[in-house]
Amino acid sequence: MSRAELFRTYMEAVFDTDKAAAFAVVRAALEEGMTPEQIVFELVVPATEDTMSAITKDPDANLAQHFMTAQIASEVTEWMLERFSQPPEILGRVVIGTSSGDLHSLGKRIVSGCLKSLMVDVIDLGVNVSAEQFVEAALKHDAQVIAISSMMVHTATGENGCQKVRKLLQSQGLEGQFRVIVGGAPFRFDEELYQKIGADAWAADGISAGKVITDLIRGVKP
Amino acid sequence: MATLLVGTPKGQHWLTVEGAQSLREALEETEARVPTACGGVGTCGACVVRVVSGQTNPPTAAERRKLTGEERARGLRLACQLRVEDDLEIELEQPEKPTSWVSIPLEELPPWPGLRPVAGPASYGVAVDLGTTRIRVSLWDRRQGRRIASCSGPNPQEVFGADVLNRVSTAQKDPQRGLELAGLARGAILKAIGTILAQELGDSGVQPAEIGRIVVVGNTAMLALLTGTGLPALLDPAQWQRAIDISPGDPSAWQADWHLGRAEILLPAPLAGFVGSDLLAAVVGTGLLEGPAGSLLVDVGTNTELALWDGSVLHVSSVPGGPAFEGAGLRFGLPAGPGAIAHVLPCPEGEGFTCETLGGLPPRGFCGSGLVDAVALLLGAGLLKASGRFSRPAEPGGYPLDPAISQSALSAGDVDTFQRAKAAQASAMEELLELAGLGWRDIRRLCVCGAFGRSLHVGHAQAVGLLPPVEEQRIELHGHAALAGCEWALLATDANAVLAEVASRARLVNLSLIPGWEDRYMAHLRLAPIPLESCRRVSP
Repeated sequence: MSRAELFRTYMEAVFDTDKAAAFAVVRAALEEGMTPEQIVFELVVPATEDTMSAITKDPDANLAQHFMTAQIASEVTEWMLERFSQPPEILGRVVIGTSSGDLHSLGKRIVSGCLKSLMVDVIDLGVNVSAEQFVEAALKHDAQVIAISSMMVHTATGENGCQKVRKLLQSQGLEGQFRVIVGGAPFRFDEELYQKIGADAWAADGISAGKVITDLIRGVKP
Repeated sequence: MATLLVGTPKGQHWLTVEGAQSLREALEETEARVPTACGGVGTCGACVVRVVSGQTNPPTAAERRKLTGEERARGLRLACQLRVEDDLEIELEQPEKPTSWVSIPLEELPPWPGLRPVAGPASYGVAVDLGTTRIRVSLWDRRQGRRIASCSGPNPQEVFGADVLNRVSTAQKDPQRGLELAGLARGAILKAIGTILAQELGDSGVQPAEIGRIVVVGNTAMLALLTGTGLPALLDPAQWQRAIDISPGDPSAWQADWHLGRAEILLPAPLAGFVGSDLLAAVVGTGLLEGPAGSLLVDVGTNTELALWDGSVLHVSSVPGGPAFEGAGLRFGLPAGPGAIAHVLPCPEGEGFTCETLGGLPPRGFCGSGLVDAVALLLGAGLLKASGRFSRPAEPGGYPLDPAISQSALSAGDVDTFQRAKAAQASAMEELLELAGLGWRDIRRLCVCGAFGRSLHVGHAQAVGLLPPVEEQRIELHGHAALAGCEWALLATDANAVLAEVASRARLVNLSLIPGWEDRYMAHLRLAPIPLESCRRVSP
């Protein structure tokens, strides 16, 4: 199979959210002599971006397809990362979790998958994470970005979520060191909400979160 | 101050609106109120209205997401996003249906045997299943051990949002609203009792004073809203796996409220924040603990609750799948009731489909079982792909199953909502089996209760991966399992002990704390049969 053909069949598999078919193309690509690095940067990342932009243009945003696409990208990337000839250069580090009172873990999961394929190190703090835990973990792991996922209006706007993280950063003089990004359903329906609760940025989906977060990292990292 | 002219099929209403509020809020206290599933944050799209004339704020991001350009050009808006600032004339696209109570056919409930007769003057009893969308009630003659009548009707709290936590946070933020919510639920239960006493029995029937016992089961949030207790605990996940106190406080206030002076009012304790007494009652109602190991009960709803009996332990969990199976959050969706498309059938002459509604009324949208049929038939006909994408780009209004009926259209967004709900349910079943050391093939009984009632087409549910492809005779559809279990408690000497016995066998599982559950969820998003190998027995 030519490179163009590999790309086309991989795209088809991803667009059809067919994980088994996508893995088969990756195996074929390895047999054709593509390196794991090439597979990630020339196949996985562009195919994921293309598919995501096609999904996003859909008038009915289909989250299920978005999830499945991100899942394939993350699984193939993890598989290939194990085979990289040298450890990949890490762009930066993010601590991520769902806000206090919120157990919806899927959005965070998608963003983590997309970040990994962009070579961002992700420290997953799990669900129902207190503001103190976010700040402590960001300090401990020397992260640049704190990412907070909230799927319910009351956890997105609640005083124990992002608002408290901002207060802690202010009171501890850490605002120059970390950027705060939020995501989740409430922010999609009110695009100014992130400012009201003291975040630096928000993103509507995994791929745009990847872009926004890499920009935030570049803004903080010396 | 602005004047609002509202057109509904029943006529026109004039309203005066003071201060800036959303159209949904303005209509809430009126007969022309609009349905909502999200509590008015613009995510469900249920409150569509058409602006006939008047100046309005421009469509919000939420509206651009929920309505197509063509629909916005026709003047369609979401009532929760539209601010009433100026005189306005609007027309309701989907007016909220009037409250309606319907009889439950007695053959849909189990014929409970071996009853202990109750003596004394107040020998009648009432069992209540207080559901998020529907309330079910049975009246019993406990002296003769005879069920007199049963009925069900919509939960009037629905206008506060199909999302239960939405209602809880409403009640928590505003005590006045909390009282109102409790009042609505108490009023609805009273209304159901009144309906049974009046309509089913006529004037010669039972008098309220003869009712000696009322047992209420429900999910924990509904019980907390009913009693006004335990609300803060429900919003704190740290409390969700603990028992939450929802005791009714002073029962004499309720007795007076309900004019049931002799009635002992019992609210058996729910298991935890996310597993209510309704699930315990459904376990009793289906006789799950008397069945073989590998008996799985799935109570389908906005929050689907599950119980797996492995012969010694009852593994219990719940999963938020979203309200799709209750008909909410869809472009054209409604709870199972008159006018809901409950079945879709392929036309015998080949091409096309026909839609059958409950009550034989003109179709107004899909309920859960009709949605399963529609997705399965479109998938089978190659019009829909396993990814959830339509083979051809869908029309702006969605794909109409019956081209003559616009409310029979299924949109790409509806398919997405369905996929996420069914993935949540299938992955939760799988996780629970795996935790019990069982596999899909070990299922001996699969009791499906809740939103689908008895209308679910099992083959279709299997084709889209909602239910596992186990032998069809192992799958049972129960219309009113929680009510049946509540009846059993009503008839027992000690009602609380019946459900406490089930609770003592239960082991709670919080899926959101199990690593790897999300991988299962992702794997179940595709519209394809569940591979039976995806979960195997792990111990002999």
